[in-house]
Amino acid sequence: MYIRSSQNKKNMAIIECREVCKSFGEKKALDHVSISIPEGGIFGLLGPNGAGKTTLIRIINRITIPNGGEVLFKGAPITQTDVEKIGYMPEERGLYRKMKVGDQAMYLAQLKGMSASAAQKALKEWFVRFGIQDWWGKKVEELSKGMAQKLQFITTVVHKPSLMILDEPFSGFDPVNAEIIRKEILRLKEEGATIILSTHNMESVEELCDNIALINKSRLVITGGVDEIRRKYGNNNVEIEYTDADGRHTEVVSRDKAGNETLQGFIDKGVTINSYKELMPRMNDIFIKLVTGEEAGKE
Amino acid sequence: MNLSKTGIVISREYLNKVKKKSFLITTFVVPVLFAAICILPSILMMNVKEKSQKVAVVDYSGIVVPFFEDSEAAQFTDCSGENPEELKNELKERGFDVLVVVSALDSSKNVSLQTFSKKPAGVDFSESIRSKASKAVEQYRISSYDISGLDKILKDVKADVKVNEFTLDESGNATVSESGIYMIISMLLGMLIYMFIAMFGGSVMSSVIEEKSSRVVEVLVSSVKATELMFGKIIGIALVALTQFVLWIVLTLVLVTAAGAIFGFQDLAASAEMTQGMAGVDMAAMAQNSEASVIFTTLSHIPWGTLIVSFLVFFVLGYLLYASMYAAIGSAVENEADSQQLQLPVTIPLMLAFFIVFFAFKNPDSAVVFWGSMIPFTSPIVMLARIPYGVPFWELALSIVLLLGTFIVMAWASAKIYKAGILMFGKKSNWNDLFKWLKQK
Repeated sequence: MYIRSSQNKKNMAIIECREVCKSFGEKKALDHVSISIPEGGIFGLLGPNGAGKTTLIRIINRITIPNGGEVLFKGAPITQTDVEKIGYMPEERGLYRKMKVGDQAMYLAQLKGMSASAAQKALKEWFVRFGIQDWWGKKVEELSKGMAQKLQFITTVVHKPSLMILDEPFSGFDPVNAEIIRKEILRLKEEGATIILSTHNMESVEELCDNIALINKSRLVITGGVDEIRRKYGNNNVEIEYTDADGRHTEVVSRDKAGNETLQGFIDKGVTINSYKELMPRMNDIFIKLVTGEEAGKE
Repeated sequence: MNLSKTGIVISREYLNKVKKKSFLITTFVVPVLFAAICILPSILMMNVKEKSQKVAVVDYSGIVVPFFEDSEAAQFTDCSGENPEELKNELKERGFDVLVVVSALDSSKNVSLQTFSKKPAGVDFSESIRSKASKAVEQYRISSYDISGLDKILKDVKADVKVNEFTLDESGNATVSESGIYMIISMLLGMLIYMFIAMFGGSVMSSVIEEKSSRVVEVLVSSVKATELMFGKIIGIALVALTQFVLWIVLTLVLVTAAGAIFGFQDLAASAEMTQGMAGVDMAAMAQNSEASVIFTTLSHIPWGTLIVSFLVFFVLGYLLYASMYAAIGSAVENEADSQQLQLPVTIPLMLAFFIVFFAFKNPDSAVVFWGSMIPFTSPIVMLARIPYGVPFWELALSIVLLLGTFIVMAWASAKIYKAGILMFGKKSNWNDLFKWLKQK
């Protein structure tokens, strides 16, 4: 199963992976993966554990060098300078344990090219926003895991990158903090940033992502707009709720015909239509279907 | 290389290390130790001088007492005829510190000594009375032979050979020298540079391992190039080493001078100053002995300028060479324990150099020493140990050029290994892996 969307061709791709291959010894981590990530919006990189998401992210970040294929940034091969502007939060979070929170944040911000004064100003703003001003002088090792995650998120986005890559941004957060991060991600999107996030939290995909790519067993399974994919994997049914002389009814009909025609049929019957809803499968179901379907196909 | 980013890495590495408690402790404790080594012997000597022991002597032989002459360390009182048992009990009341009982002459014309004191009389004291009593017995035996003129004969026979050493300079002028001094300076220099290279090289390795095991490295390499990170780290720690070195010298001088002012031995401080603190330690202690003039002449002929400049050059180059190797090894492991096995090929040449320095003492011109001072992995340590003996300029230059060249090659190789190594997680790496990473494009 290999479906490519043509939806994004209109937009300029900020990142384009062309036939990217990577193997570690005998093991293939990525097998001719081609993905186009449009500028602006949130792009979800999905896949079960060990599918190759992190490898792809590291290749985009030029941390890992691919065996084949290329990565383009705004149409030209990606350079170290491009990468240094990306806000990258790796899956394996890491901070200097013995360093003070403020020093640490300043260091990482300055490495991203911010001046000391700009970094200080921006960081203070973020610390206030997250209500963590008191942490500035604490050592990182004194922070809880969730607290360290927040700090890590701030250091990833503080230099206002136009492209952010967040590897499993919600892992390690409790629901309250996950919500805070979710809101921040949406806010950054509103401000025009492009965000690539890898996750296997499908609910967040539906809510956040505009486009996705599903990778399984080192291959690209599907990529495209979230709505488009959900529609594609739905049974193409609509649910119509109407009231007639007997009371309220719901009926699921195939949407082979155009929506208006179907509705016209109901209207002609003389019933009152309460709602007309496209039945979309949940991303979670598509994910499971595609991933297990692939495995079943192989066996 | 992006210099401003490397600069940020350098400054973090530097400030982070310098603010550490361990740095502060070593920086301030070591000069105290240095100064203590300098000052203590003198203070002890002063104490000995101040407190001379009052000694009561009960001599049953009748020949030993005349040889017990009063000295600064001891004042003897002849109490022969008194009962030693009573004296023992009244020792303190009568103002004596020690009671010495000399036995009567035995059949082999010998005596034995017994000392009694509240506090231990000390090795020096017992050695001094032993030699005095021996002299007395010898005299007694000689006189008992009844050979006329024997005294004179023995005096003539007694030999006292002295070795006066001279080294010839370029123009053939002889200068007084003392090979013992060279040995000590040479050993101190060798040890100091070995210590610095091993300590700060190891520090680079721990720093690399810390970044790897805390996973912070992945964020870092998305902001800076791996090579910038590696060299930033190496340079940052080099600056820490130089800071520590300078602080040691300054603090040692301050402490020794201050102690000199307090206890009043200016010459000590002066000699320490002259030897720039590092070698001043033992020099100062030695300045106390009777051959002081020879030592000072020797010291004044040691090429101090060359020595200090060479120390800095060889330390910096040797450190850079070893630090880049340590960085490569650190990048391959996730914790210090795993580094043991990989470290071996790096620590062996370092140890070897240290052992060659001991050879350098016995024969500074031997082939082992020469090659040791040329081969880059041992040269920083061995060459430095050779310098007090004088090294031809071409040898010095060749050694530096070889070292620099090796460093450049090693830095390139280490950067390649480091780049690949820092992002390898999970698998325990070995030397094969390192070579594989080296060959990778």
